[in-house]
Amino acid sequence: MQGSVRLSLHNRISVFRAERGISRRELAEAVGVNNQTIGYLERGDYKPSLELALKIARHFDVAVEMLFSLERFEPIAMMLKRTGEDP
Amino acid sequence: MKARPRSLLSRLDDTVRWTGLPARIADQMSGDPDRKHRPLRWSPIWPIAFSCSLLVISLVWPSLLDVMHPGALIGVITAFWGGVFAMIPAIYMNGPLGKSSLADDEREAALRKSSFLFCLGLLAVLNGLGQPILMILSHWQHWKFAQTASVVTTSFMLNATLFACLPTLYASWNLRQLPND
Repeated sequence: MQGSVRLSLHNRISVFRAERGISRRELAEAVGVNNQTIGYLERGDYKPSLELALKIARHFDVAVEMLFSLERFEPIAMMLKRTGEDP
Repeated sequence: MKARPRSLLSRLDDTVRWTGLPARIADQMSGDPDRKHRPLRWSPIWPIAFSCSLLVISLVWPSLLDVMHPGALIGVITAFWGGVFAMIPAIYMNGPLGKSSLADDEREAALRKSSFLFCLGLLAVLNGLGQPILMILSHWQHWKFAQTASVVTTSFMLNATLFACLPTLYASWNLRQLPND
């Protein structure tokens, strides 16, 4: 039955884009897609090919797992709180 | 200085502007990445509805056909449909699938593929079911030549309209409005 479950792909492209101050159009031009495609990717309406996912990760200079995940990403506030609590 | 009267050919040249083609070519050549092929969720429904209604009329009210010569009837239907046919390229070119497929990125290529697969699948089902039904109807109801000719013409028109408009309709309903960056 597990094969019939439709997995959703979560991403943090908008977070990374905001952090680096990159517009949708700049990212789109860098990875060679239409800027609307970046919008649909960010909103989770489109699942990218492996090639596109790797190109986006390379553009941000991070591992692809930092950008895309099959599980929900932990909210940044929770991550910061947890980091602050660590000794 | 008095302006010279414009020639007929010059006036005819101006009418090209009414077709919208010069503006469209300028838009295509501008290289502006923001130029829109916007989703058209309602306009493709009109030609489809019109073609469906023509087929229904030719099936349900064949008595309407008795007053006209078959050739004249086909001419009238084709003339009416010609008006609708003029809308179809504009709908396709302004819709989400309107730009050249060579300029598609992977999302647009996937959308184009799924739209045409949906359209061709639906047409295959409709034609597969429709043809035997029409054959049985023509046999049982003893269709005259005029009715057979009009059903054949209108079903061809419906097929052509569906092929031209369904991909745009499917793609338009699959795209949601994006917020601004």
